[in-house]
Amino acid sequence: MSASDSRELRIVGFLCNWCSYGGADTAGVARFAQPTDLRIIRVPCSGRIDPLFIVRALVNGADGVLVSGCHPRDCHYAEGNFYARRRLETLKRFLDATGIDPARFEYTWVSASEGQRWQHVVTEFTRRIHALGPAPLLRHVSDGAWFDAAAPAAAGPACPCHG
Amino acid sequence: MDRFLAASQLTALADDLAQTGPVLAPIAEGGSVVFRWYRPGMRIELSRMASTSPKAATFPQTEPLLAVRREGEAKTPTVEATLPPRSRTVVLGCRPCGARGKEIFGPVFLGGVHDPYFARRREDALFMAVVCTRPETTCFCTSVGGGPADTVGVDVLLIPVEGGFVARSVTAAGEKVLAHALFAEAGARSAEADAVIAKANAAMPPQDDFRTAPEKLLARFDDKDFWERQSAKCISCGACTYMCPTCYCFNITDDDLGLESRRIRTWDNCMSYLFTLEGSGHNPRPTKAHRLKNRVSHKFSYYPTIHSGTIACCGCGRCIKHCPVGVDIRAIVRAAQEYGG
Amino acid sequence: MVEALKTAIAERLADLEMVIGWEMGFDALHATPLFIREEGDLHRLTLGPLAVHNLATYLPGLKGKKVGVVVKGCDSRSVIQLANEGLIKREDITVFGLCCDGVISHRKLREALPADLGFVEQATWHSDRLQAVVAGHAVEVRLQDILADKCISCRYPNALAADVLVGAARTPAPQPVPCQDAFDALPQAEKLAFWEATMARCIRCYACRNACPLCVCRDHCIATTRDPLWLGQENSPAENFMFQMIHVLHLAGRCTECGECERSCPVDIPLLLLRRSMNRVTEELFDYQAGTTPGQTPPLLTFQVEEARINERGW
Repeated sequence: MSASDSRELRIVGFLCNWCSYGGADTAGVARFAQPTDLRIIRVPCSGRIDPLFIVRALVNGADGVLVSGCHPRDCHYAEGNFYARRRLETLKRFLDATGIDPARFEYTWVSASEGQRWQHVVTEFTRRIHALGPAPLLRHVSDGAWFDAAAPAAAGPACPCHG
Repeated sequence: MDRFLAASQLTALADDLAQTGPVLAPIAEGGSVVFRWYRPGMRIELSRMASTSPKAATFPQTEPLLAVRREGEAKTPTVEATLPPRSRTVVLGCRPCGARGKEIFGPVFLGGVHDPYFARRREDALFMAVVCTRPETTCFCTSVGGGPADTVGVDVLLIPVEGGFVARSVTAAGEKVLAHALFAEAGARSAEADAVIAKANAAMPPQDDFRTAPEKLLARFDDKDFWERQSAKCISCGACTYMCPTCYCFNITDDDLGLESRRIRTWDNCMSYLFTLEGSGHNPRPTKAHRLKNRVSHKFSYYPTIHSGTIACCGCGRCIKHCPVGVDIRAIVRAAQEYGG
Repeated sequence: MVEALKTAIAERLADLEMVIGWEMGFDALHATPLFIREEGDLHRLTLGPLAVHNLATYLPGLKGKKVGVVVKGCDSRSVIQLANEGLIKREDITVFGLCCDGVISHRKLREALPADLGFVEQATWHSDRLQAVVAGHAVEVRLQDILADKCISCRYPNALAADVLVGAARTPAPQPVPCQDAFDALPQAEKLAFWEATMARCIRCYACRNACPLCVCRDHCIATTRDPLWLGQENSPAENFMFQMIHVLHLAGRCTECGECERSCPVDIPLLLLRRSMNRVTEELFDYQAGTTPGQTPPLLTFQVEEARINERGW
């Protein structure tokens, strides 16, 4: 699928090894077309995902973060995703207070056999992120450094980028 | 040289100075007053002492030291020293203690070693300090060699008078700034300024005599019980050190950004466990008692012992006023001095 | 109230290594923690609207010692939460609980006075009014006008699970906090802009972290480790904000909303906006308020197979 916006955005996916990573694999083997914006990070279990992974990715400039694990009651480690579900839902509801759009983060459950479902999830989430556009970002340089860079720019002619 | 600046012209002066170089000024922001790099539209607030100190002018919290760049995996990286850009930096509206604070850095950064980053910032910085007309409950500048109209480290002294400030140059660089068109003739206001200074000096509370502090603090060096009691309420945060105009300890870290990397110097904090944590896992200052001992003794004992009696404290009182639990450095030094009668 | 407390402490002091309370600090507007080790220290004990500190913060550092602690309602929740998480042994702690009339916000007081707090010359409390002389001006301020935000929304003015309870129990009358409501009403983009501007002022002194009673990693915080590198040292708005995210998320379902983070901030960053938002989420999802029920497990340390308030997020 080619997204309506041709520019690729940065979407980070945290996928559990046993279900969703397998599901993505199944989708690939079945040659289901998928958007290419998602970069997948394989983790042992959705229970391994610290909500801070998601926040760190968003603060570092990810336009969207997708988490996917085994369906509840179907965790390879019996209860990892039960803990994950609480953490992820907590984060999702909290995000609004940070000024980061909660729609930029989503979590879902995809099993290893659900290739089609995986295709649907990735496509829908990518479409959503494209509709939101590139994420606004908090400034990554300190005030002083910002000023050091801004001062020569303000001076005009001496600035290398203004010739 | 004395000139006069109308209070209403302060913002115009800041706007003007900011066109030719960075201006660091106390800005009212979210209920707080902090030193910020001035940009037109910001509100300069002089009625109370800023929570943070003006040390960013000479010793910023983050100082990029090196930039490393690699064009590709196989290429040799380029390494470039990132010295601060050359431009006059004006600190507008600090207190005399804030200007004095940076003088403590000199022997450290320009003594045995020569730190080019500090050297450049120090040379380019110009301090326009406002005389304090009334001491706060936490002020003790006169006990450590300063005063409400102290001129150490100051280029221009701004003395509050009716309707504005008498701007009194202390250095040649300061005199140059006073040539600015916004300054008017001081005339008879000079005499008024002298009276303000005399009154400010008289308003200061009685001085502490810290002359015996170096030896008395050293005598308590191994007194675990003394330091445990003194530090009982300390929560080991860095508010005191980061607010302090004279604290100069730093950390150097590499920020790795793939093919680009930076080496930055950032403020460090002797109240933190990691400050002295060694690679072996050993930590010579494992408890907050060890760390508070170091902070107090460094300022009032070790530093003056090495640097001809100068106390490494400017008496601004920020560490007392902004301490979340009200640790009072004056009281600790006094307790050491009075120990055992 | 203070005399009754002194008596209660004097009775138990012999069995305790110390009792932590408050005394007057460096000026008439600041109290400071007091470590009572012998009866001779007791006369310094003070209570009232200046006793702002949550003394439960010291308890994890004193683990293994028999310690007494004086707590307000909000502080008592921290004691319960610490015990629930096994971070202190409840049986080692003697809790001297207060029925609290609220404490002041020094920031609000500063705004109510004609000059900075540092210029205070005298200050005395007359029940719920503060009479002060500041920079030569005599002023009177009502406690209710300078009450800390956490006291406005306080649901637990009377210390919970106290071994000794002092004072007359108060009926809680929680009100919405105006600054929280104003923040909540902001559009998303403005919230981000607000944090960017506010976090530019942060100096990363970690006073918020160290004052927090539930931030128990202390010397081993992931904010300062280099491996793994969670946080760069540059004090940019992004990194400063990231630290707040670490704090808030590590406190999710644990924060007792004592407000020490916000109170400790030397540059007045309204950190409780984030904590309150998170606490609202955990209460909404798990019907849970940290530190209100001894023996309770924090919600993120447990789960239910069928979650009552989380949908299965079908696609």
